[in-house]
This record gives sequence, structure tokens and C-alpha cells, in this order.
Amino acid sequence: MSKLQKFRQSHWYGLVLLALIAFLFWAIFKALAPQTFGDFDKLQTYLKTALYYAVGGCGLYFICVMGPFDMSVGANIVLSSVLAVNMSERFGYAGLLIAPMISGVLVGLLNGLVYIKLRISSLIVTAGLSLVYEALSIFATNGKEAILAPEYRAFGDYPGNLVLALLAFLLCAFILKYTKIGTYTYAIGSNEVVAKNMGVNVDKYKVVAFVLCGFFVGVEAILTISYGTSMTSASNLASMARNFPPLMGTFFGLAFKKYGHPVIAIVVGEFIIQLLFQGFVALGAPTTVQNIVTGIVLLAIVTLTIKPVKGAVVK
Amino acid sequence: MSEVLLHAEEIDKNFGVTHAIDRVTLDFFKGEVHALIGENGSGKSTFTSCLTGIYHKDSGTFTLLGKEINAHDQVDGNYQGVAIIVQEIGTLSGLTVAENIFLGKEDEFTKFHVKNTKAMNKKAQELLDSYGFNYIKATDIIDKYNFEDRKLIEIVKATHFKPQVLVVDETTTALGEKGRKELFKVMKDTKEDGRCVIFISHDLDEVLEQSDNISVLRDGVLVDTVKSSEVTTDDLKKLMVGREITRSYYRSDYGEQVSDEVVLRGENLTVPGEIEDFSIELHKGEIIGIGGLSECGMHEVGKALFGASYDRKGSVTLADGTKINDIKTAIDHSIAYASKDRDNESLVINDTIQDNICLPSLEDIKRNHVLHARDEKAFAEKYAMQMSTKMQGVHQFMSALSGGNKQKVVLARWVGKNSDIIILDSPTRGIDVKVKADIYHMMDEMRKSGKSIIMISEEISELLGMADRILIMKDGKLSGEFARSEGLKDTDLIAKMV
Repeated sequence: MSKLQKFRQSHWYGLVLLALIAFLFWAIFKALAPQTFGDFDKLQTYLKTALYYAVGGCGLYFICVMGPFDMSVGANIVLSSVLAVNMSERFGYAGLLIAPMISGVLVGLLNGLVYIKLRISSLIVTAGLSLVYEALSIFATNGKEAILAPEYRAFGDYPGNLVLALLAFLLCAFILKYTKIGTYTYAIGSNEVVAKNMGVNVDKYKVVAFVLCGFFVGVEAILTISYGTSMTSASNLASMARNFPPLMGTFFGLAFKKYGHPVIAIVVGEFIIQLLFQGFVALGAPTTVQNIVTGIVLLAIVTLTIKPVKGAVVK
Repeated sequence: MSEVLLHAEEIDKNFGVTHAIDRVTLDFFKGEVHALIGENGSGKSTFTSCLTGIYHKDSGTFTLLGKEINAHDQVDGNYQGVAIIVQEIGTLSGLTVAENIFLGKEDEFTKFHVKNTKAMNKKAQELLDSYGFNYIKATDIIDKYNFEDRKLIEIVKATHFKPQVLVVDETTTALGEKGRKELFKVMKDTKEDGRCVIFISHDLDEVLEQSDNISVLRDGVLVDTVKSSEVTTDDLKKLMVGREITRSYYRSDYGEQVSDEVVLRGENLTVPGEIEDFSIELHKGEIIGIGGLSECGMHEVGKALFGASYDRKGSVTLADGTKINDIKTAIDHSIAYASKDRDNESLVINDTIQDNICLPSLEDIKRNHVLHARDEKAFAEKYAMQMSTKMQGVHQFMSALSGGNKQKVVLARWVGKNSDIIILDSPTRGIDVKVKADIYHMMDEMRKSGKSIIMISEEISELLGMADRILIMKDGKLSGEFARSEGLKDTDLIAKMV
């Protein structure tokens, strides 16, 4: 085996590839829009957004690796954010931090329990429950915009946001690598029947995955409300659009899973997506063009990374 | 007689209306390799699955060393002293080798819910080294290894903790020479250590060679237990089927002239990494056997001729000049293909027998452009019964059938399609003697009616017994060709394989 082949199979290959892709996009947009794109301050801003999407992406990763899906991430963010605002008014930072985490966990628990008890598609379950969570967010705000008081916005900027996000990333990486939950997440995703025969309580660990997803989305809600400072309750599945930014990072995590660093891939992946978005903004491209090119680039990166085997069944 | 290690008392198991195990009482002794044989669907695997926790028995008891055991799953079974190596792949992609070996047993390396990955990897590597598999790295993702190496990892997983009873369920068919050797070594060590191996295999010569005692199951009922040293394969066949198998397994004709008419021609076929510059001409009414070692590329030849290979170079042409470059063209021009990987590539396993048989013939079954349920049912019943498929009805799901009966459904499908060229890859893999005899008879009848068959097989006796011509492959290339002859010996073929 040549040195290059060895390197391609090593854990480092994935990291180098991610860094190269990020650098490539930065260099292209920097060359095209040197005044408006990519200086140090702007990179910090891009990273700020990438961080909170990546926290949610970490949560989604547990579910997507197993095979199901969570369409209620957006509704969870909206509900957890408005609860964070409400509770911060009563309990200060403790309310801001704890309320969305508990709310996220409860949303995840309900998603998981309904999914395993009804035995119907996770897409349908979580989309259906999204309507319930959106309705709860309206009850929680009486339909008004929830605004986070200025004295509780420490997690909207550096270093508070970075510390909280880093803690979340470390927790996710730790669970994946150093607990049974991580092993069983991959085992169930690989072959549920064999995992069951090995004594893995598949239903239990699916619920655990939904709970973890809910928890990380709750943390994303803290960062979202702290950065954005306000949140409006949603209805008629208006929250759906919030599902996709964290999901893009999850795609990167799944694509780079084989290199053993899914959390890093999720974070860098979100950063790459931000580079793309902001690059187009700097170029003055219309939003539609931004979306088209970003979608195509995302598909291209994931496809090239996964290199699907010819004839393999992909669902 | 040595001491009883495991006592099975009145074990009973039903699947719906099928009585899979009918009050089986059986003793297994210390220091014994005890074979379980029987036709497909006779209950061998169900019995051992109940023992090892894959299935839950309806009634009866297993007593190991005087203590009743009742495994809820495989890992629970391991802790109670029983382990199983299964026929299908039993390792999980995406996990490391170490994680696979200790799946379900992470608690041995966990403190305060934190897994000591380093200790687990170290222990796994020590185990792999102790089995002589030091080229397998515990920290590698298991996907890096091929099917046979993954089977070896399963052997380590199932035996490293020295289970009192080790079940080897039809595993040898999935292994090459190296894997079999390792497996038999583990079985021997288990026996010499005063523990017991329950060995399930359809290869009766292998059964006689490896086991001390043999128990025969038929339709879920224990028929007899005999000493291996006191019986022959014919005795065993009689016990399995319940009567003498008078009809010879294989064709008895020699020297018959094969037609000059070429019905299928494959020229300079190359599939990267699989086969290289392989050519073949199939004549009307001919059976060509293709043999070789498992990884010689012969299985890819079947796919290449059926238009199912990717990146294939060279050409496949029918007598009328039609080029076969894709599966649809192949089926439309009366070519049938039964893959070695029955469950994944030949059958829609979560569908009914009826749908599986009718699938390629829907256009033929239609009346006035409309499919009628009654016609489909009649079609499926006709061909399922022609193949003597053991079933509750054609509405039954494929997943509930035994391996042999699944293969009968595959064959019924192509008999129903009335294909003229049939490519059969490992047609009797994991299949009992009676079904084997049925399949050979069917092939012979097809040949006589002018149909042409390509049979890819790892069984030398099958090649010698059934083929008009035998092509041997080595490293993706043709290495030898033999005409049918009484004087042809297995050693002639082996010499071209290795």
C-alpha cells in the first residue's frame, strides 16, 4: 500500500480534507470580493453562526446515524427559545440555561416515545408533533414576540457562545466515543436485528437518541436566542425552515464518520456552509442563486466524500 | 459415556401455525461434537436459536451443568454459557473490531458509565493475537475486512470466553479453506477442553468427519441420535428424508453429444478487480459448470453474463446478435439468474411467495393490460407446487421460509418465466439432500428440453456430476477446461484451482 493510500485511510485524511475545502471556499470568495468578505472579524461572525447550528447538528447526528429523522428541530428551537426568555425573566441565567435544556429533553422524550410506541415513520411523528410544539410556543408567549433582556445575552457573543458550544461539542464527542450510547447508536444504525440479538435494547436507545437530540437542540436554542435576542412563536409548520441549517452539519458528520471525527466534521461543515452563504452575500448574489449554489455544493461535497459503491442500495 | 453437559427437555416452538420444534428432548455430553442434521425447515436452527437466545422457546427447559438456563438474547446466552456462530454475517458495520467483539458486553470495560476504550481495544487485540489473527487490528473499523475475516472475528467473539456450549450453525458454507481450518481448530479445542460443540451442516461428509454423535430432526421432531462412527452418509440421508434416496444425486449419462448451436457468447469479459479477459460459449441444451476457489471471480461471471456487473468490458451476445448489457434486456431475452446471495440479491425477502414468483412474469400474467389477483395466485401456486415448496400458501412471507424453500421459490420464478438460459450461482448452497436431488433433477430435465444452464459452484462433486463442460477459474481468469467424463477426478479440477 502506497503512502498516499495509507494516508487516505487514516483519521487525518478527513480533517485535512475538511480544512482544505474550507480554505478553498475562503480563498475563492476572498479573491472575488476582497473588501467585503473573509477578514478576521467577519470570519469570527461566520463562526458564531456556525457554532449554534453545529450544536443542533450534533443532536441530529444521534438520530440520523440510527436511521430515523427529526422534523421537529425547528419547533423545538422556537419553543425552547421562548421558554428560555420567560424563565430568564424569573430566574436569570439559571432560567436561560436550564429551561431550554429541560424543554429540549422533554420534546425529545415525547418524540422518541411516540415514535417507538406508535411504530410509524419518525418523519410523520416529528412533523405531527411539531404542530403541537408550535402551538405550545404560542401559548407561552400569548402570540407576542419574546425578547431576551440585554443583561442575559452573554451567550450571544464571544467568549460565552464559544464556551457553551465547546462544552456541547465535547459532550457529544464524549458520548459517541466513551459511552455505550455511542456504540449502540452506530450498532443500531448498522443492523438493528443483529444489535437486538446482542442484547441491545433498541427501543430504549432510540428514545435516548431522541432525548439527546432534544437536549442539544435546547442548547442551540440558548445560543440562538442569545445571538438573535428575540423569537416569535410559530404556527402552521413555519418553524420547518429551522430544521435545515443544523441538518447540513449533520450531513457532513455522516459523510466524514468513517474518518472518526464526526463532531469536528459537523462544526467545520457548518462553517463551510456559512462561508458559502456569506460569500454570496458579499458578492451581492440574489438569495435564490445563493440557495441553488449552496445546495449543489453541499451535495457535491457529501457525494465526493462518501463515494457510494456502485450498485449499493441507498434509501 | 461421559457426563451430560446440556440437557434439553421437551423443547417446543411454534411460528404461527408452523410447529417448528415438537417437544424435542436431547442430551449433549462433555467433550463432544454433536451434529444436528435434517432437511431445510426441519428445526435445527430454531432449536439452537432457542438455546442461544435468538428465539424464545414456547415451552421446555434447557439445563446446563445441572442449572436451568433461559437466554433472552445472544449476549445473555453468552453469560449463561452458550454461544453461536451463525451462517449470515453477524458483525456490525461502522463499529470497530473491538466494539464488535465486545458488543453488549461494554459493561466489562465501563466505570461510572464511561467506557474505557483503550482497555477494550487492548483486550480485543490480545484475543485476536492469541487466535493467530494478528493481522486484524482491534481499532480498525470492521468494514475494512472481507467477509471471511469478519467471520473469523465472529469466531473470536463467540468463543473467547470459552462457552460451555458452542453452536456452529451452517457456518462452514460461508468460509473458505483458511476459515474452515480455523473453525475446526476452535471446535477441536472446545471438545478437548471438555466442553461441547453443536454442529449444524448440510455437508454430510463434513458431519461424519467432525462429529462424535449425530441427531437427526425431521419436521421439528427428533428422529434418532446415532454415533458418527457407526453410520454412513446414505444412512444419514435415509434418516433425514424418512426413506431411501434411490434416485442418484447426479446425472448418470456420459458421452452425450451437445448441440453445436451457440445460444450465448461472452467474449473478453473483464470486470475490474474481479474477472479478466474471460470468454465463454454456451450451447443449446448444455450445462456448463464454472468452479474455482471462492474469490476466483466465478461469481462475478454470472453477473457479467446477466448484465448485472458494473464497469464490465467485453461483450455478451445471444444467438440472434442481441447484446446483453443490462438486466432488463437479459430478462426480456429469456435469461434467468439466481444469485449466490439469495436473501439480498435474489429475493424480495419482506414480500410474499406469490409476489416473488410473479415478479418477472407480470407482463405474461396480465389479461387486457390488467393484473388479476386470481391469475397471479394461480400462477404462483402452479410453480411453487411444481418445485414442492414447503409453505402454508403463496401468501406466506419469504422471511418465514427455510433456506432450501427460499431457493425453490427462486427457481420457481424462473421456471415460471420459462427462461431458455439459466445462470445458477451456488444453486444448492445451504440446502439439504432432498432438495438438492430435486434441483439436480430439475436441471437435468431442463437440459433435456433444450434449455441451457450455467452452474457456478464451489462444490466439486456437483460440477463433476452435473456439467457437460467444466471451466475452472483462478485469479479472475480461465485456468482449465474439462469435458464431461467418467474418468474425470476432483484432483484434476483442484490442480487448476490452486
